Amino acid sequence: MSILEIWLGILQGFRVTALVTLYGLVFAIPFGLIFGVAQYMTTGPARFVVTSIIEFWRSSAVIILLFVFYYALPLAGLALSAMTVSAMVLGLNIGGYASQAVRAGLQALDRGQKEAGHALGLSRSTILLRIELPQALVAMSPTFINQLIQLVKATSLVSLVTLTDMTFRAKEISQIEYDPVPIYTSLLLAYFIVCYPVALFGRWVERRINPAREARCAV
Amino acid sequence: MQFDVAFALSTVPTILGAIGMTLLVAAVSCVGASAIGFGLELIRRSGGLGGLFVRFLIDFIRATPVLVWLYCLYFILPFYGIRLGALATGMIGLSLYYSGYLAEVFKAGIDAIPNGQGEAARALGLGRIDMTVFVIAPQMLRNIAAPMGNYFVSILKATPYLAVLAVPEMLGRAFDIASETYRYAEPLTVAGLIFLGLALLISHAIKRLENRLMGPTAR
Repeated sequence: MSILEIWLGILQGFRVTALVTLYGLVFAIPFGLIFGVAQYMTTGPARFVVTSIIEFWRSSAVIILLFVFYYALPLAGLALSAMTVSAMVLGLNIGGYASQAVRAGLQALDRGQKEAGHALGLSRSTILLRIELPQALVAMSPTFINQLIQLVKATSLVSLVTLTDMTFRAKEISQIEYDPVPIYTSLLLAYFIVCYPVALFGRWVERRINPAREARCAV
Repeated sequence: MQFDVAFALSTVPTILGAIGMTLLVAAVSCVGASAIGFGLELIRRSGGLGGLFVRFLIDFIRATPVLVWLYCLYFILPFYGIRLGALATGMIGLSLYYSGYLAEVFKAGIDAIPNGQGEAARALGLGRIDMTVFVIAPQMLRNIAAPMGNYFVSILKATPYLAVLAVPEMLGRAFDIASETYRYAEPLTVAGLIFLGLALLISHAIKRLENRLMGPTAR
């Protein structure tokens, strides 16, 4: 099998990889935003509930979560497609991480920002939406870009629940033709080609937000 | 079919019996990843062609999924006559993969040490190795206890990936039960809950250790 055929074969799985990523974001972005803000704003028992939900999605091993939901949801009478389950599990897992970035971004803001808003007579929700969130989200944007890369990489897991993504295609091809070296190196490269530009973009954003913090110790 | 709680409970001892394997894989991979990561970071800082290569290698690792790395090692190494077995391959895979992340952590830790420390060490006539071991490393470890602990938890949560290579850790055991009984939801849920408990426990322990390490200088 020529290298070109291998690449074309892997490329057939790109659509599923991209779709899972996209649908995953549909779960991750609202979850990260809502739960991050909720964890920031709540106190006492309410905060405990919010934190517990975040920790469930964030601290579980994502590969097991995927299998559990794939096999257990039908028992609960919820027959979702492998695509929906994968997007939900991967999305909420990354959303859990994103929520921590949202919360940390909000907490890192100078208290004066909120106080100035109060002094101007703005309502709490206006302060949050117009003053706090925009600054926090911009400050944390390199983290979000990193998490997007984590999501793309995590989509390789959907090959284990029968979705034909790039990883699944590579495995299929290597079963037909025993030639693992070019097939799996091509697969690694394929993910690199997708993720590396995003990583470079993230670094560019980071430099824009945070210019000049170079001064390293020579070792 | 319904979720059978009694059956789920009956799988607990079998799955829990593999916790030793899970912890072994995690511990070896943490040590391996830290050692390789520190080595990579030292090479990267020394510059030159080796530094440039390591820099690319770290970027490459971070832009590719761990699952694909495991497949790569598992299928490509035997092709070249290197037969290590699934367990060793898996531990090498996790060590290599997370070394890329830990190298970044070490980088941040070393960058945060004031320049004067290295200069003072040189002024005192310390050699390169003495300076690294006695001046840089201890201060670096203090700086990075928190992110390093987070990656250790990530490694723990990545150990179930080895089930894909048929290593008999907890998820692997759960799948063994599932394929014998044709019931997937119960053993997988049990494995998921044990992993969640373990991850929460260990991140709590790391947080306590971190506070201890920071001691009176805690921020």
